[in-house]
Amino acid sequence: MVRLPKQLLQVPVMMLIFSIAVACLANSFWLSAATSAVALSLSVAGLAILYGQLGLVSLCQFALVGVGGWVTLRIGHAFHPPFEVSLLAGAIVASVVGLAFGVPALRLRGLYLALVTLMLAGAFQIVISAWGFPDGGRGFLGRADGSGRTMLARPPMADGEVTYFLYVCAFATIGLLIAQWHKLARPGRAWALIRKGETVAVASGVNVLIYKAWAFALSGFLAGLAGGLLAGNVGQLDGRAFGAFESLNLFALAIVGGVFNWYGAVIAGMLLRALPALLTDLGIDGYVMIGIFGVALFQALGTAPSGIAGQISALIGRFGSRISRRRPR
Amino acid sequence: MNILPFIISGLGIGAVYALSGVGLVVLFRATGVLNFAFGAFGAIGAHCAWQLLEWKMPLAVAIFAAVTVSTAISFLYGRLFAPMLSHRDVVVRAVGTLAPALILIAIMGVIWGELPRRLQFPTDQMFVSLFAVRLTFTRVIAIFLAVAMVVAITLLLNRTRLGLDMRALANDRDLSAVLGVRILYTETAAWTITGIFSGLAGLLLADLVRLQGTFLTLLVIPAIAAAILGQLRSLWETAVAGLLIGIAEAVLTPIAWISPYRAAAPFIIALAAVTILGGAAKSALKDR
Repeated sequence: MVRLPKQLLQVPVMMLIFSIAVACLANSFWLSAATSAVALSLSVAGLAILYGQLGLVSLCQFALVGVGGWVTLRIGHAFHPPFEVSLLAGAIVASVVGLAFGVPALRLRGLYLALVTLMLAGAFQIVISAWGFPDGGRGFLGRADGSGRTMLARPPMADGEVTYFLYVCAFATIGLLIAQWHKLARPGRAWALIRKGETVAVASGVNVLIYKAWAFALSGFLAGLAGGLLAGNVGQLDGRAFGAFESLNLFALAIVGGVFNWYGAVIAGMLLRALPALLTDLGIDGYVMIGIFGVALFQALGTAPSGIAGQISALIGRFGSRISRRRPR
Repeated sequence: MNILPFIISGLGIGAVYALSGVGLVVLFRATGVLNFAFGAFGAIGAHCAWQLLEWKMPLAVAIFAAVTVSTAISFLYGRLFAPMLSHRDVVVRAVGTLAPALILIAIMGVIWGELPRRLQFPTDQMFVSLFAVRLTFTRVIAIFLAVAMVVAITLLLNRTRLGLDMRALANDRDLSAVLGVRILYTETAAWTITGIFSGLAGLLLADLVRLQGTFLTLLVIPAIAAAILGQLRSLWETAVAGLLIGIAEAVLTPIAWISPYRAAAPFIIALAAVTILGGAAKSALKDR
């Protein structure tokens, strides 16, 4: 049996508190933003595994989100299975594609991997704008002509806005748990060794090939899950939202949020979707947001490599040690 | 089918890719930074030129201002911000340049919006006929500029003290520092040079395709493709690769089933190149 570390418990507890708080307080505008934010935090968790654990820079994560969304919509419109089935299919296909994208990484490292994945993101942008997302039409591409657009139905048990938000939170919790377990258990130790140096890892009996490939597959799986959940949120997707620029932006935010703590992914997701919603609410130009991301990225790279989440956890740590020091008196 | 017109129209874009690729390689060789913000530096310059032309300024002023703005921004980043990351590994330094790219996209978005515009030069109206195909003077200028800049940079690298310092940095940074190469000075010079390249490339692309912040920023991707083909090392190979990528993209236009995907050509070519050249490329990329 797989032993579950105790630290895993904080993931469902925190996510439960977070989701209930948002579900009680938010109106429908905010709920929609929070739903995409939580969904996207899954894809950030995938990036965090690659960059935080292995030091690999993947600049095509948003393309994998697109793959997951595309497959989810396609399966959903073609066969009308339960939503979970199309979602899982999307995640698995994205995982396979992520693995295929990662194949060059088994030979390349560092900058070249970043460039290869950037090329893939660029190529995906062109393919998806030529294909479009399926919206219930016939044929492989599933493009409806003219007026015949159909939306992908949400799962029956989560038809409303609040229930769908909670549904997404539940999936996100499972995804984050899987990611966090990987970090704490055997794969995490293997990845840490690979990061130290592949010779070290090989000498310690780690199968470098399998564990690297596994990281890419897992990262793709999480991205695909995010894509499927996004598709379920509105019922359709827009090809223009999956450009290479989004992948770059997502990576920048993953660093700002923090790649070493699991809640860094949630923070990054909120920054990506909830903060722009706030600015729209205040009537500020959406571009200001991108500028803030830029400043935050450089600040994180220069002074806080573990991101916002790292700073929070350091703060909690200092607070905790002060309390425990006081207790003996 | 006559593909000659497409080859000739591809030469213009190809020249811009060549110019951008060489600009990237010059900086990468000297500083070890791959500049993701290259396109953004060019884009903000091109926007300034457009604005000045709107204000009825003479063309020469607009072009000069564009190149100056791009160069100044590149200089500022290279002088003030890039050194903060200079001790980090090559990937982090590259990712760091995403920051100015995002900030510049924001500035352009707030000031000029995303309305696609086009910069127009009087040379668009003038043309020579080559094999019964119109070759506008803008394209001729682009090709000429690409060749001239590569020659100039090669001379700079091979004949001057600064070029020697740059080549020394490219070989071994720490050893060069011990031998008395002024690292900050040399690196800032490289940033300035890449700024000039980005200004020119931004202007040309804004004329040949369109003037739009995010679009011009992503110019960096095909330019990186060209740089990869030059193994991030050889200026001439990069320039030729850039030209060929531009031509390949244009030649695919008449083939109906492939036409919607033709813009992916640079990426596919670069991916194939990385897969084939992977071993050679790795040796060029010893972690510096």
